[in-house]
Amino acid sequence: MAEKAKDKTYRLHLMVCAGTGCVSNHSYEIKEALEKEIKKHGLENEVTVVPTGCNGFCERGPILVVQPGNIFYQQLAVKDVPHLVEEHFLKGRLVSKFMYTPPEEKKPVPVLNDIPFFKKQVLIALRNRGLIDPEKIDESIARDGYKALVKALTEMTPDKIITEITLSGLRGRGGAGFPTGLKWQLVRNAASSNGGGKYIVCNGDEGDPGAFMDRSILEADPHAVIEGMVIGAKAIGATAGFVYVRNEYPLAVQRLSIALDQARDYGLLGSDILGTGFDFDIQIKRGAGAFVCGEETALMASIEGRLGEPRPRPPYPAQSGLWGKPTCINNVETWANVPMIINRGAKWYAGIGTETSKGTKVFSLVGKINNTGLVEVPMGISLREIIYDIGGGIPGGKAFKAVQTGGPSGGCIPREKIDLPIDYESLTEAGSMMGSGGMVIMDQDTCMVDIARYFLSFTHEESCGKCTPCREGTKAMLDILTRITAGKGTEEDIGLLQDLALSIKDSALCGLGKTAPNPVLTTLRYFRDEYEAHIRTKKCPAHVCRQLNIYTINPETCVKVGRGCDVCRRNCASDAITGQKNEAHVIDRAKCIKCGVCFDVCNFGAVKVD
Amino acid sequence: MPKLKIEDLEKIREQVKRTTALREGSGFRAKVNVHMGTCGIAAGARTIMNAFIKELETRDVHDVLLTNSGCAGLCSQEPMVTIEIAGQAPVKYVNLTEKKAQEIFEKHVLGGTIVKEYALGIGSEKTDY
Amino acid sequence: MVNLTIDGKQIQVEESATILQAAKKAEAKIPTLCYHPVVEPYAACRVCMVEVSLKGKADLVTSCNTKVQEGMDVQTNSERALRARRLNVEMLLARAPAAEPLRQIAKELGIKKTRFAVKDPEEKCILCGLCVRACEQIVGASAISFIERGTERKVSTPFGEPSEACIGCTACAYFCPTGAITCEDKYGRKVIHEEMYLGPTTAIRVPSRQAVPMVPFIDKEACIHFKTGECKICAKVCDREAVNYEMDDTLRDLEVGSIILASGFKPFDARRIPAYGYGRFPNIITAMEFERLVNASGPTGGKVLMANGEEPKAVGIIHCVGSRDENYNAYCSRVCCMYSLKFAHLLGEKTKATIYDFYVDMRCFGKGYEEFYHRLLKEGTKFIRGRVSEINDLALTEKEEGKLIIRVEDTLIGTVRRIPVDMAILAVGLEPSVDHNQLAKKFNISCSQDTFFLERHPKLAPVSSFTDGIFLAGTCQGPKDIPDTVAQAGAAVSEALALADAGKVELEPITAEIDDELCSGCQICVGLCPFTSITYDKDKGISVINDALCKGCGTCVAACPSGASQQKHFRDAQIFAEIEGILLV
Repeated sequence: MAEKAKDKTYRLHLMVCAGTGCVSNHSYEIKEALEKEIKKHGLENEVTVVPTGCNGFCERGPILVVQPGNIFYQQLAVKDVPHLVEEHFLKGRLVSKFMYTPPEEKKPVPVLNDIPFFKKQVLIALRNRGLIDPEKIDESIARDGYKALVKALTEMTPDKIITEITLSGLRGRGGAGFPTGLKWQLVRNAASSNGGGKYIVCNGDEGDPGAFMDRSILEADPHAVIEGMVIGAKAIGATAGFVYVRNEYPLAVQRLSIALDQARDYGLLGSDILGTGFDFDIQIKRGAGAFVCGEETALMASIEGRLGEPRPRPPYPAQSGLWGKPTCINNVETWANVPMIINRGAKWYAGIGTETSKGTKVFSLVGKINNTGLVEVPMGISLREIIYDIGGGIPGGKAFKAVQTGGPSGGCIPREKIDLPIDYESLTEAGSMMGSGGMVIMDQDTCMVDIARYFLSFTHEESCGKCTPCREGTKAMLDILTRITAGKGTEEDIGLLQDLALSIKDSALCGLGKTAPNPVLTTLRYFRDEYEAHIRTKKCPAHVCRQLNIYTINPETCVKVGRGCDVCRRNCASDAITGQKNEAHVIDRAKCIKCGVCFDVCNFGAVKVD
Repeated sequence: MPKLKIEDLEKIREQVKRTTALREGSGFRAKVNVHMGTCGIAAGARTIMNAFIKELETRDVHDVLLTNSGCAGLCSQEPMVTIEIAGQAPVKYVNLTEKKAQEIFEKHVLGGTIVKEYALGIGSEKTDY
Repeated sequence: MVNLTIDGKQIQVEESATILQAAKKAEAKIPTLCYHPVVEPYAACRVCMVEVSLKGKADLVTSCNTKVQEGMDVQTNSERALRARRLNVEMLLARAPAAEPLRQIAKELGIKKTRFAVKDPEEKCILCGLCVRACEQIVGASAISFIERGTERKVSTPFGEPSEACIGCTACAYFCPTGAITCEDKYGRKVIHEEMYLGPTTAIRVPSRQAVPMVPFIDKEACIHFKTGECKICAKVCDREAVNYEMDDTLRDLEVGSIILASGFKPFDARRIPAYGYGRFPNIITAMEFERLVNASGPTGGKVLMANGEEPKAVGIIHCVGSRDENYNAYCSRVCCMYSLKFAHLLGEKTKATIYDFYVDMRCFGKGYEEFYHRLLKEGTKFIRGRVSEINDLALTEKEEGKLIIRVEDTLIGTVRRIPVDMAILAVGLEPSVDHNQLAKKFNISCSQDTFFLERHPKLAPVSSFTDGIFLAGTCQGPKDIPDTVAQAGAAVSEALALADAGKVELEPITAEIDDELCSGCQICVGLCPFTSITYDKDKGISVINDALCKGCGTCVAACPSGASQQKHFRDAQIFAEIEGILLV
């Protein structure tokens, strides 16, 4: 294909999304069906099908973008393909029934750029998504891939590279937001002990529930990451690099391996890169799926083949990292930003974003939101713009309640702060954090105590168990939260919870433990009334904590509207409902196990929850 | 595969850009729209389309967007193309043959002079793109 | 040096010091759990947290691993530090309520009871990781590590199986502050800590409790330092600086006037008699093993116990194992009767067991030996005369179930008997030591029919060999007991001393000599000389005889093809002349 693509001009390029989301929605089958249909119509010399990385609009997968024209087709099925090929690719008529219709509008929007989800995005890290086949290095090169590398290797000194990165204001995209240029400078300055050598590490151990930007970048544009790492290696004087990827990302691992092989074949990796005399190579290390291995010291221990648990810092990896050598660890997204900064200059990059947070950030938008997906937006954009303009608002017209940012250790930001500009400082100020960029949107039906309990159960499960506050503290907090959501909380629990949270934040060993109390602290800060309701009146305002719910049947609605349909009685698991057809049904409170099935099955709204 | 030199990288970039450029969707100097409704195809629009593709390839042109659309409503005069030079009104050509298409490509698309003898008219409606 | 303040006290410490070390100097007490001075700090228990203000920024840090910095203001008991410390201790208390040092710290912090859920009231492990670090950093074995994560975390060997990497040093148990790791106590001693043959051992040890000299040595095969270059903990703890890793085994050439061979014996390998079941049944042991068993410094502390740890109720001692037996050694090993009687006596003293003694002939030849035999007869040892034919575990009656059955022909009453016992001791005989043959070759010593070294004359020269200056002592010459060995050793030493005292040696008058003119340098004689007295002189191209070594055996004279080698006083010419004289008469 690669060879063919080089010398063959096609009239149409069908960009089939082959990110993990769309692949699991059978996008490869669609690709095959497209190729088959195209052949059937004799169009194989005019139309080509290109598998690309994730487009970000995963909610709408599988996605097909037709170029030229940027025509956006979504939620395709194999059976739609013959019609689509005949109408659009043969006859040239756009097929509106496969197009996307934004929730507020009635008419489908044919062109990708006109769709609100895409319109407000600024693509830097995801610049090649949907535009190249990630398994073909030539397509990456055509999109200016490795151009920055040439510049860095031939025109720039290491100091010049570092200065450029420093001036750009790029900060670590993995969560903590440490200035990247400064980190590189520290590693460059660090004296390498025992025999020299420094290392570059790319952290792709993305473990936050619902976050998938690193995966998407590795799947859509692995060469951007490789190029960034080689530039970084030149800047700090490293000779070897590692990409640490979760083994749960098979597609990312596969695409990255292909990309590494291709780069090596082209002499863009290995010894004497592009004949400039610079040597550097990259290995993939696959993680076994421990969340804590995303923490840099635990990650390094894992690469070294030791138990993946964090160690105290200092010494920082910049001083003593992998095998005791100075090591520069950056996140996938950070590395992907580097070539663009070198190519277009620090000034251009620093022109995007806010005073302290420059450039763009990729967020994964999940939860109670219409447009689930991956978005890259300039720093400083408001939560409102992300949630309503890009995300398309809350499904079912429900009210927005809070957004949880920064993964399981982030905090919940309430509705009142919806105009908060997104940058490192303001998120921290609000009690949350940037994290790797997960955004979980919650609507009015979400119980904040339950949410805190959910995230605590995650951090408790993923705590490595090395230090006391994290190991025992997350367990203690989880116990208390479980108690509260079961209606067994006491007045003292809130105080104890607060004490625990503050103490754990203060005294845990690594980032995982230090941030684990964030969901508790922010929900206590913004939604204290919900905690109090659970404890004092034994009520869950959102009716999520089922143990606190009381189910009753309104006899009037049951008889008059539902005519005593009897569905609830037949579905009741504990035989708590009595009644006959055309009669009012009654729930026996003593027998009710509060499973909520009657509420779910009643079509007439006769079952009330209180 | 032999290791690349910096010049080789530039070569690959230029070469592949030619074929992938139209994914970018903008920055085209001209647009050639072949009308390919049932009537057009029946009248030989495919030959015309192939002729343009060949022209683009042999002349190494990549700032021209080649696309197709449905029936223009003037089925009796198919095959038809609409040529639109950026910033100018579109021109419709009718009753085309492969040879005519080559001439139009050379004179109008590349040269900028409208081939009046084949043209139906200037102006009219704009396409969606 | 760095200046800092700890609890308001201004102090000066070295740059490399941690806050904990500085606090010690400032006499501020910071409780610790996972800290130990000889391993790397781990910063896991978070009990040693202190509040540090530096450049206007206050933060909680673990004092065990945080280095001091100029201008630091350390508060060991600030409200913030105490809140973290108290909660951490309280949470740990819920995990390991039975951990004594933890309870002590909790008491000092005023924590009476934990508010958190206690899983196991008997739990002692506080997951401080000292054992893991000791095993990795001190021992270098890395036999144990943490497994699982979060609250499921625990210390384990790989897959929870006994680890091959474990050298049984018990460092883990030693470092464990709460007693959560114990060594298995068997026979009142730590089984893991045994001597050779009985289990893994430490690299540094005294060969046995009765070793002479009673000094420890380092076993390079087992020593971590000689494998990895790490550890060196023995040097760290030795006040006298007596540990020397450079000391090496050396080969030394000594010039001596005489040599005494006392290469000893090896016990007969009882496996060679399959019918006796040694190696198949755990409670059939050899005399040497029984010696270790009854030894007060042995594995059981001198108690006679079976493999299952119980005391035997009946014990059989079998004489002449490998001795006086044409299939193995025809000779009498001379010591077995007496040590068997000693065993019978010790068994009677230490156990309540019935003791059977199976003998062929009771050979109590030494002074007081016969009296000892009579004492044993009175003590109630059951002596059965007859050679044991077999020991097995094939029970015929209920009484024999689970016992070892000794089958023997009792020659005094003329019947075949089956004696059930719990333990059988094989009185193995003596055989020449392992390298006996090499020694014999090296020193040109002849061996007698029983393969022991042959003395020059059984009556007139019992300690001399056929080579002057080489003497024999002890069991290398033939089986003998300790008094005989000591006596023979004394004699050998006297002979050697006599030579040394004289300061000169008498040479044989009749030796061979090689005529330079006639010798063709064929070197036939060099290989033939039984006393290695002939060497080849490369420069001259002839063979040369060393007069001090030549015994005048005449082998070379007979072998020399050119007639260059001649025996002094017995030259060819002389002999021919003698023959001529005889014939003339």
